Amino acid sequence: MAAVKETVEAVAALEKYAHGFTSDIEQEFAPKGLNADIVRFISEKKGEPEWMLEWRLAAFERWQAMEEPTWASVRYDPVDYQDLYYYAAPKKKAGPKSLDEVDPELLEVYAKLGIPLKEQEVLAGVEGAPKVAVDAVFDSVSVVTTFKKELAKAGVIFLPMSEAIREHPELVRQYLGSVVPVSDNYFAALNSAVFSDGSFVYIPPGVRCPMELSTYFRINASQTGQFERTLIIADKGSYVSYLEGCTAPMRDENQLHAAVVELVALDDAEIKYSTVQNWYPGDAEGRGGIYNFVTKRADCRGDRSKVSWTQVETGSAVTWKYPSCLLKGEESSGEFYSIAITNGHQQADTGTKMVHLGKNSKSRIIAKAVSAGKSDSTYRGLVSVHPKATGVRNFTQCDSLLIGKDCGSHTIPYIEAKNGSAHLEHEATTTRLSEDQLFYAQQRGLSEEEAVALLVNGFVRDVLQELPMEFAVEAQKLVAISLEGSVG
Amino acid sequence: MSALPVLDLKDASSFPSRRVEAWKYSDLRKFLREAPQLSPSATIPLVGGGPFEALGGEAMVFVNGRPVDASARVVCGEQTVRLRLISKAEGTGHAVAARISARAGAKLLVLETHEGEGAGYVAHNRLELDLAEGAEVTRIVLTDEPGDVLSVTQAAVRLARGARYRQTIVASGAKLQRLETEVSHPGHGADVRLDGAYVLDGSRHADLTSVVDHLGREGTTSQLTKGVVKDTARGVFQGKIIVERGADGTDARMGHHALILSERGEVDAKPELIIYADEVQCAHGNTVGNLDANALFYMQQRGLPLDEARALLTGAFLMEVIDRIETEGPREVVREWLTARL
Repeated sequence: MAAVKETVEAVAALEKYAHGFTSDIEQEFAPKGLNADIVRFISEKKGEPEWMLEWRLAAFERWQAMEEPTWASVRYDPVDYQDLYYYAAPKKKAGPKSLDEVDPELLEVYAKLGIPLKEQEVLAGVEGAPKVAVDAVFDSVSVVTTFKKELAKAGVIFLPMSEAIREHPELVRQYLGSVVPVSDNYFAALNSAVFSDGSFVYIPPGVRCPMELSTYFRINASQTGQFERTLIIADKGSYVSYLEGCTAPMRDENQLHAAVVELVALDDAEIKYSTVQNWYPGDAEGRGGIYNFVTKRADCRGDRSKVSWTQVETGSAVTWKYPSCLLKGEESSGEFYSIAITNGHQQADTGTKMVHLGKNSKSRIIAKAVSAGKSDSTYRGLVSVHPKATGVRNFTQCDSLLIGKDCGSHTIPYIEAKNGSAHLEHEATTTRLSEDQLFYAQQRGLSEEEAVALLVNGFVRDVLQELPMEFAVEAQKLVAISLEGSVG
Repeated sequence: MSALPVLDLKDASSFPSRRVEAWKYSDLRKFLREAPQLSPSATIPLVGGGPFEALGGEAMVFVNGRPVDASARVVCGEQTVRLRLISKAEGTGHAVAARISARAGAKLLVLETHEGEGAGYVAHNRLELDLAEGAEVTRIVLTDEPGDVLSVTQAAVRLARGARYRQTIVASGAKLQRLETEVSHPGHGADVRLDGAYVLDGSRHADLTSVVDHLGREGTTSQLTKGVVKDTARGVFQGKIIVERGADGTDARMGHHALILSERGEVDAKPELIIYADEVQCAHGNTVGNLDANALFYMQQRGLPLDEARALLTGAFLMEVIDRIETEGPREVVREWLTARL
């Protein structure tokens, strides 16, 4: 019951959005607006080679010819792409050589967020916890990456994307845009043109990454879009577990976050990608908050490769994302575990795509949605089986929980089977919180809010179990916090 | 407002392509770019009253879109109407507009048959069904059309409180066959059952699409569709259940299960739940697979030839839908009709 107690304490102790502080850090901005010159400016700031600039400019050209999609079940004020800053970076003299040279204010931000930037630190409260290497991205640039040396010993490359472009151009060039092509969709094209930083990971053949890798994203400056780009390549027979966390300050205006994440798994490789997304969701009246329009896709190129997506989505005013798997390799497998919690005026249209192209490929989807307040949550998913993919298996379960009269919860699955040997199962349920269970929990001395948190944590347990242990504790607290004020 | 786009055979711009979300798996525009020429009038032989003839009742017949008698009917008391939509045409098009209203407390059995002769025609049927308070309507649809025709049926069903609506569609497909049902569900004791079965071979296509809109409290909906595809046939199921704000106490269940009995058959399914009320019980299940190899093996071991074993298992799979028809007469006609096609 310790975890429950902790959850209850967390509910009591924390403000509605705990990460809503801003930090006064000297920033360097590109001029507002977006044109080819801004794309050149970003590329120059990053000291990129010519091929990268050309890649960006081509993406920008494509983006200009594209229209913003409208099919998702979300409503939001249109984004004025000319009224945003596309580049903001903490000012610094030269790149910091060690943590001592990093702006102390910046370190304080991460301390407040509980992100361990000092290598000797391990996550609080977990005795003998495994080490976690962190790449911290502040607005447009990566601030610090820890444990670089130890990782290098194992042959693992874990770098900010901007450094990877300079140091490992051959790898970046080979894989960048190979999973999410430049013109895949409107936001992916925009990201390709203006992405500022993100993480690059390469795990060499046969290597099991010695520690969890983690990237921490923070939007700080106002009117700034964050466009990070992450590329993870797991070479033959390798394994990596990667965690991603996000927060932003509380602001009145909406901020745009349009990231692209590409994963490549070769033969027998496995990637576990976990996200705890806690961007600022907007205030109680639905003002402000982050627009989270993200493209995440994994390419299971190799035979017997495996990618597992786990996401806990509690933040953002509007979420629009479908972490997907292209299961090309024979016997490759894809997993998607998701918790989407919406409260207040939040809207989330999220789900996954499992595209079965390889023989005997398997996939598993467990999606749990909790809607409260005046929020709207949609599960949208695709399971498709290519005519040549024999022996495919899929299991999908989508459960929705509704708390309150004014919220909505929708399930829109697409199932496309073009091969006779496929076995696809899908089930979905929508219910409200059981009154009997609530009553029972309250009778045992829990307040209504505590009882809700307890029941919801039980509802999402299947997914929480999939998170790495250090994150699971955090996520459990987050579940409780995001539902604050949803009852009574 | 209709949740599904309305089709007009005279207006080519109303022909949906797969870019229209509701027609994603049935690309009408691919086969029909221009408005077809109007089918000429035709006569039907005086003998033979369609598959449900033996069950009696009054006939309401349309031939190539033209009503033989009347195109609208008001029903009170207990009645059976055999609605026969007959096409006898070659490469032309025709549209039916029929309307049946069931008065308060009426008990109506609509036995609808789509009987096609000829080739390459385009048939569009629009059917309106109104159920007054406490009325009970059972609609059973059998389709038997050539494999190279386009056939779209759009039924709009409006229920008053306390009405009961039962529907079973048995589709055998066409080049493109779509059977849409849109139900306006007022809750307050109103109860809907929407079932379907499809058996498709060759390169036939059948699309069973439905939208049930729960507008008021305490409404129930139960949906079960099962299908079998062979060869390169394609079965489509799209079911949408909407629970509007305030429609608390709604209980809605939807199931779609399909068997693909060939290498290159295709099944596309999109079971949707759109929910704006919290005091609800809604669920859907969807499975796509093939026959259980163990069961087949067992039956062969007991001396059944493979083909027979297959037919037996497939029949048992589909009959669950037919068993839900409450009235014995039509249930047995449909059972025989379906068994003959396995």
